[in-house]
Amino acid sequence: SCNPSEKLDLDAWKKVMRSGVQDEVSETVSERKELSTLAAAREVLEMWRLAGRSVPENISEEQLKTFMECPSKSAKKKYLKYLHLKELHKKNNKRKMDEKRQRRLETEEQASKTDETKRNSFIRLWASCMDRTYGWRAAQSMIFGQPLVFDMSYEKDMSVREVANTVRQIVLSEGCNRRSVDPFHIHFCNLKGDSLYHKEFIKHYREAWGKLLITVTDQCYTDVFPKDKLIYLTADSPKVMKTFDHDKIYIVGSMVDRSIKTGVSLARAKRLGLETAALPLEKYLLWNTGAKNLTLDQMMHILLSLKDTGDWKTALEFVPKRKYCGFISKP
Amino acid sequence: SVQPPEKPLQAEEWNRLRESFRSPEIFEEVMFNSMVRCNSPIDVAKSLLTHVAKSKGDIAYNLLVKYLALCVQQGQTSEIRDMYDIMKIRFRIFDSGAYNLLIRGLSNSDQWRMALTLLEEVKKVMIPSRTNYESCIKAASRHQEMNLAFELYHEMLAKDLVPTLDVLQAFFDFSRGMKGAELQKELFGILLYLRENQIYPHKTFMRSIKLWFESIPGGNWRGHLTNIKDSGQCPVCNHQLEDSNLTEEEYNNLRERIIRDVIHGTDTFRKTSPQEFEAFQTFVENRLPFDIVIDGLNVSHIKPRKMQCENLFDAVNCLAKENARLLVLGRKHMLINSSNWKRGIMKEMQNKADFFFAENISEDDAFLLYATLRSGKHCKFVTRDFLRDHKACLADSLTRHLFRKWQRGHQIVFSPSVEGKHINFLPAFCYDCVVQTTGDTWHIPYKDTFEEKYSYRVPRRWLCIQQK
Repeated sequence: SCNPSEKLDLDAWKKVMRSGVQDEVSETVSERKELSTLAAAREVLEMWRLAGRSVPENISEEQLKTFMECPSKSAKKKYLKYLHLKELHKKNNKRKMDEKRQRRLETEEQASKTDETKRNSFIRLWASCMDRTYGWRAAQSMIFGQPLVFDMSYEKDMSVREVANTVRQIVLSEGCNRRSVDPFHIHFCNLKGDSLYHKEFIKHYREAWGKLLITVTDQCYTDVFPKDKLIYLTADSPKVMKTFDHDKIYIVGSMVDRSIKTGVSLARAKRLGLETAALPLEKYLLWNTGAKNLTLDQMMHILLSLKDTGDWKTALEFVPKRKYCGFISKP
Repeated sequence: SVQPPEKPLQAEEWNRLRESFRSPEIFEEVMFNSMVRCNSPIDVAKSLLTHVAKSKGDIAYNLLVKYLALCVQQGQTSEIRDMYDIMKIRFRIFDSGAYNLLIRGLSNSDQWRMALTLLEEVKKVMIPSRTNYESCIKAASRHQEMNLAFELYHEMLAKDLVPTLDVLQAFFDFSRGMKGAELQKELFGILLYLRENQIYPHKTFMRSIKLWFESIPGGNWRGHLTNIKDSGQCPVCNHQLEDSNLTEEEYNNLRERIIRDVIHGTDTFRKTSPQEFEAFQTFVENRLPFDIVIDGLNVSHIKPRKMQCENLFDAVNCLAKENARLLVLGRKHMLINSSNWKRGIMKEMQNKADFFFAENISEDDAFLLYATLRSGKHCKFVTRDFLRDHKACLADSLTRHLFRKWQRGHQIVFSPSVEGKHINFLPAFCYDCVVQTTGDTWHIPYKDTFEEKYSYRVPRRWLCIQQK
């Protein structure tokens, strides 16, 4: 149906691609010096990005070095994907924040138009008021509360990212403990001043680190508490926990285990001759998939709930839903 | 997704298609993907590229690569060369995907030497992939440049890249009928590589090896397919295969590694406890040497319908022939009278074999390995476990190979027909199942199928090659 005058020139794109850039290139070639390894890596990454792979748009010098130190190709790929997703999340959050601000401005504008003054018997000070209440409760717990120990001796069993994840989970745990009605008295034991854990904590808490209402010590829990009161919680324990004991001191290992290292925390408890226990997951839940080890904040939720109610069913609601199909009706 | 058109389209027609597509911003990408999938004629792709170039003044890198993929898929050599020139104008280096495509495309053409140049280019920015080397090696050997091919092969080995069986096979295929002592040495080298790494060739690879041997001018090699007797004798040439024993040095080496890496590992408490391990050591030292060490718990599950202690009892009776000294490893819970563990039967067994009961939370496999290795080279062990997790604890591949070799020669497994009344055991191999040579004979075990389902399964079929 094409008439000859508008016949397609199928190689026209080659002319476009070849034209215009020729002299520019010859210039850069002559100017180019030997590229540093970092710059070369940056260049390779840019090509990956152009090819449509999961690569972050911006990458810092430090990240680039981490990237180059990855031991294998797949490790490199994984690291880049991780950075890429992080970047995407950041961007999305920023967009959402902007939209929110926009909306708030609009509503404020409307409110000022209607010019309606509201009467209220409370001054709006919710956040700081709540903080003070929580602080009061946490202070109480430091005097009268049941201790809960986080064992910070797993640094050498973890990668840098696992340590970061661990600290994040502990920060979440501490937060939910603080907000609970009857908080635990949290102990960070075996926490050394120059450790990676410590560095990550400072990163999260900044100045608040010094003001936290918890006990931090480089001593072992066996030096702080009587041995017969301690129970080490680990998924590898052959003993299953029946009830929550208000007179015992439970220890949670501060470890994220992405590569499978079975029995690490059980070995620690065995070495110190401590009693161990595992949550009765099998007894109450129809297990579906996933490992039986839970995140530290899930553990905290479960323990808090057990302490308050003593009811396994309410407590085990905090096990992620994807891991089990349902509750066993008659345990 | 979209169906690519069958004929090249005009600009307006592309525009129309693009607007009817639900997300126009990725229209070109999706369209190119489906062109690659449907293997569309390249003229259609060209017309889209022209449209993009004219409307945007430039073509994005990923589109160029996708077009390149289409060209490589169809073996359009001149187009691939053009693409290389065009991309080189815009970009100083490429991503590995583009390099892969260019090398693959060019190595299959008469311009295969270009692929070698590209390989050099890749080396400047990254370590080439093993498929890059594979393409180049195959291209070189296809053109009878065996020296070059072997040079590349050694280069990739030096970079710790693992060659595919395909590339190794190519060496044999393309060397067929060629003369030269140097070449022969290289190919023997590949066979020794198979030996070192305990790789078994598959059937078609084995045939290539056989044909190559038989084609060596003046070599007088003859190959036969055969099954080796249980005694380790080859029925074709009557040659006795290497036995599965480790040398004194290898054996000591392996024993130390097992104790260090498997039993103690990073923490002795993970698998046992220092007290328990010491108690076990003393126990073993006082009763050495054993002939067979049995994983009691594992054996007790052979027949699920039977009581566990009965299974163990049968196994012990079956193995306790000719005054063999047996050691059974168990756990403490076996001593408690229960429905599965009758005290009377346990007592009776303890007259026929030594028993060691570990803590219920200890791992008895580690004890199994220790007791067997401590008893000496003649000692065998019984378990259905493949011990893969223990092999994985060993630090380096050399020790892992030693472990596999030792395992092949010392593990007694149940015969597959356990439906019968009696428990039967397959003896451990007395010969080593690995590529081997005496200079004028070669024996090469091979797999029947290409796919290797179980890496621990040892092939039963052999290629026997002898020089007349």
